[in-house]
Amino acid sequence: MPTTAKKLVSALALGTFATTAACGGTDAATEDIELRMSVWTSNEDQLALFDSIADAYIADHPEITSITFESLPFEEYNTTLTTQIAGGNAPDLAWMGDLSADLIDSGALVPLTDALEGTEGWDYGDLLPSVTGEFSRDGELYAYPFSNSPFALYVNTDLLAEAGQTFDPAGLTWDKVSEIGAAVHDATGKGGFVVNDFNYSSWNTLATIWTGFGATAWDTDGTECGFTSPEMTEAFTFLHKAIYTDESMPGPGTTADFFAGDAAFAVAQVSRAGNLDGSFAYDIAPLPAGPAGDYSVIGQAGMGVLASSPNAEAATGFLAYLTNPENAAQLAQYFPPPRQSLLTGEALAANNEKFTAEQLQTVVVDQIADAVTLPNHTNPAEIAQKAKTELDAMWAPDADIPGVLASVCSAVDPLLVAK
Amino acid sequence: MGRADAATGYLFIAPQLVGVLVFVIVPVGLAIWYSLNDWNIFTGQLTYVGGGNYQAALDDPALPSVLGATAVFSGGVVALNIVLGLALAVMLNRRFKGAVLFRTLFFSPVVVSVVAWTLVWGFLLQDNGGVNGVLALVGVDGPNWLQNGPTAMVAVTFTQVVRSVGINMVLFLAALQGVPGELYEAARLDGADPRRIFFRITLPLISPTLLLTAIITIVGALQSFAQIAVLTEGGPGLSTTVLVYYVFQQAFSFNDIGYGSTLALMLLTFVMVLTVIQWQLRRKWVFYED
Amino acid sequence: MRTETAPRPFGPLARRIALYAALIVLAAPFVIPTLWMVASSFKPLSEIFASPPSFFTDSPTAAAYGEAFAFQPFARQYFNSVYIALVVTLIVLLVSGLAGYAFARIRFPGRNLLFVVVLIGLLVPSEVTIVPLFQMFKQAGMVNTHWPLILVTAFAAPCVLATFIMRQFFIALPVELEEAARLDGLGRFGIWRRICLPLARPALSAVAILTFLSSWNLYLEPTVYLTSPELFTLPQALTRFTDPYGGEMWNTQLAAATMTVVPVLVVFLIAQRQFVESLAHSGLKG
Repeated sequence: MPTTAKKLVSALALGTFATTAACGGTDAATEDIELRMSVWTSNEDQLALFDSIADAYIADHPEITSITFESLPFEEYNTTLTTQIAGGNAPDLAWMGDLSADLIDSGALVPLTDALEGTEGWDYGDLLPSVTGEFSRDGELYAYPFSNSPFALYVNTDLLAEAGQTFDPAGLTWDKVSEIGAAVHDATGKGGFVVNDFNYSSWNTLATIWTGFGATAWDTDGTECGFTSPEMTEAFTFLHKAIYTDESMPGPGTTADFFAGDAAFAVAQVSRAGNLDGSFAYDIAPLPAGPAGDYSVIGQAGMGVLASSPNAEAATGFLAYLTNPENAAQLAQYFPPPRQSLLTGEALAANNEKFTAEQLQTVVVDQIADAVTLPNHTNPAEIAQKAKTELDAMWAPDADIPGVLASVCSAVDPLLVAK
Repeated sequence: MGRADAATGYLFIAPQLVGVLVFVIVPVGLAIWYSLNDWNIFTGQLTYVGGGNYQAALDDPALPSVLGATAVFSGGVVALNIVLGLALAVMLNRRFKGAVLFRTLFFSPVVVSVVAWTLVWGFLLQDNGGVNGVLALVGVDGPNWLQNGPTAMVAVTFTQVVRSVGINMVLFLAALQGVPGELYEAARLDGADPRRIFFRITLPLISPTLLLTAIITIVGALQSFAQIAVLTEGGPGLSTTVLVYYVFQQAFSFNDIGYGSTLALMLLTFVMVLTVIQWQLRRKWVFYED
Repeated sequence: MRTETAPRPFGPLARRIALYAALIVLAAPFVIPTLWMVASSFKPLSEIFASPPSFFTDSPTAAAYGEAFAFQPFARQYFNSVYIALVVTLIVLLVSGLAGYAFARIRFPGRNLLFVVVLIGLLVPSEVTIVPLFQMFKQAGMVNTHWPLILVTAFAAPCVLATFIMRQFFIALPVELEEAARLDGLGRFGIWRRICLPLARPALSAVAILTFLSSWNLYLEPTVYLTSPELFTLPQALTRFTDPYGGEMWNTQLAAATMTVVPVLVVFLIAQRQFVESLAHSGLKG
């Protein structure tokens, strides 16, 4: 207690106006470097893999004494990470999802392009252009997109059979999915199709549908709201009809978990296959075509180096090692990789018990090159919240669809412009 | 011995006083400082904006709705919590088989982690969930609780009350057991009916406890965050976005610490005003007060 | 409306049955969620959210209980929660015992003003202070340690409530006892230690229980301050049972939640008579 108490007293003396005084990147420490990387997985196999790669790196780099992987829970990941950054307690490296735009814009990430290109054998040209865009600004890469998991259509073939329906992935459209879903709901009382994680709250997951209608949440600059476009109106009209007229999509407040066998179809990332427990027969297919034709959507995760780290250089060095072709191949066991050379059905099937190499070829490999990502923007939480508040009015049988979409745009417009 | 005694007095309260200064008063001062600044959380830069955040609060179109929801939620929780707590205490303040068991049952949610508790309720309150399943048994077609404003408010209020009423029940039980039996006897001999006895004797005698529970319950209601976060996320629309949830969103989700601090200070002001009012009124209705 | 002329609707037996019926109906929303939590912790993951919901499963499994320990250092986290709550409770007993006594019994200039200052600690919502406190603890190098959880609970709101309760108790304590002790030559500290504290046992146990519960249920603070799983406390640990993609491992969460709730309930069941009686004699009585 005495030392801690002393610390507290001195902190109070010093820190009365405790602004962060964020220790800017002074590269003072050249030995006894301890690196910390925030991740949201707590899967032991994945952490063991990261640890083994880190151990190999430390063996060759005596100045680094330890590399720890700190698991933060997925749900509170952004909040915890930003609290740590605000508190001047940021990790040296971090995984990131929709926080990336804010981090890049505020200069909180170290640019990686030169370091990676300059690392021997790293082969920067191997990265697919479709997966680096989200983590780049002005041609500079700020985070390595280690996971690029396409959304796919999961099918409960048992439920379809029970309702006397058959499933043919060739030429599948959203209208057809809705039709089969309605038939399953009529026959079994279970749900038709669900969008996983949407729960009438995380509306950005609906991009897995509206992209098929040619709609986007905002333009590529992220300055103009796209919810009032005719394509978006068409997409939401389809959803509304599916919920309230055809009853092919379970309404709000109705639990229908595909993985518990409660729905015929689910849109979910391929990486969710671990939730299939074998209690029903399943199939997987690329997302159905919409009025705008075939399309693919991926959810991404990147890893980057925080500029506030006093050891940013060492951290960048480790990131380059962690993502070099050999280690990227190991990571690909768990995360669909950004490297062209690693994207083959066989490679992905090596550690996947749920799907065959052919299935993975069609729903993963063939999709990534042309995929769009889920909507991403600076200030993601506030945009998500503002739009959600307005969209709640959409989920009623007599909703005024264009009216609600217009109110979504007026709610998010100020935030888009603020960019 | 006056002066030495006074010195002992200061010594005795010193740990508590210093604790409150360090862990409450200084942080409140810092929060006021933050509320006068915009804070870029990623770069750590504070920009002095003076009353900018306060102006933003006045201009915030969502705030009236948030304050309304806060009033409805807190009012509902406090009223129900005290009435139900008192009713349970009166019922269980008798000797009968199972009284102890029932006390434990009504108290049990207090020890359940609020997150676990709310998750379970979130599931039970689904349109096809357990609550509507039970209602269907008695022929009632239950509403889609969490999906429209009024019923969502009922749901979050109800789950908060059920979770926290056990504390009030126990406090009231303790108070009731402190009421001397002779008073009841005398009243009964005078021919007073039970209702009269309750309102004329019991209630005045336990009024200090009522004051304490009212304060604890209001403070608790104004701070209940997890229920809203897990059950409704403040929706549908803004219907269940109470001030504490809004503060949390601004400060921790949107990373607007300056504005979040401004709103938090507003919450603090409400709590203070309500407490001062209650404290001033206590002489009017609290039986024993000095 | 006068009721005394109305005939009694039912006799003692019927009354009793009515009382039990009312209590059982009332108890349902208090009990069913907990029971469902316990029952569901024995279900396979896919059955937990099956609709319509059910209490029982055809294939009960205790695997989730093992998983809870395999997935996180759950035993360690259990220990953390217990020891933090105990340390906090001890500090609060001491601090509030001293302060409550002084505010009730010792006359010193500024007493009432200082009491109001202390009471502010009860009213400030944690949302106001959490960001500044985080900054302060960060400066002190105490982030990702148990110090913030111990210090804030042991001196801020829960302790202030305790001080308030202790003050109410000591105000009601007959002053003659102290005067006798003073004649015997005891000083203030001696009086407090030898006479008043032993008499305050009921109030102290009430304070102990309330303090223990507030530390035990703390959620926001550990979430903000702690990042290493081996330092987590239980309420925080409960939300961390997620699969690699952020999907919740419901059955493991429910099993872990069950393990955190049941012991406390058992203790309360055993101790509740004393608990109620302590409160009854703690000065909170009418």
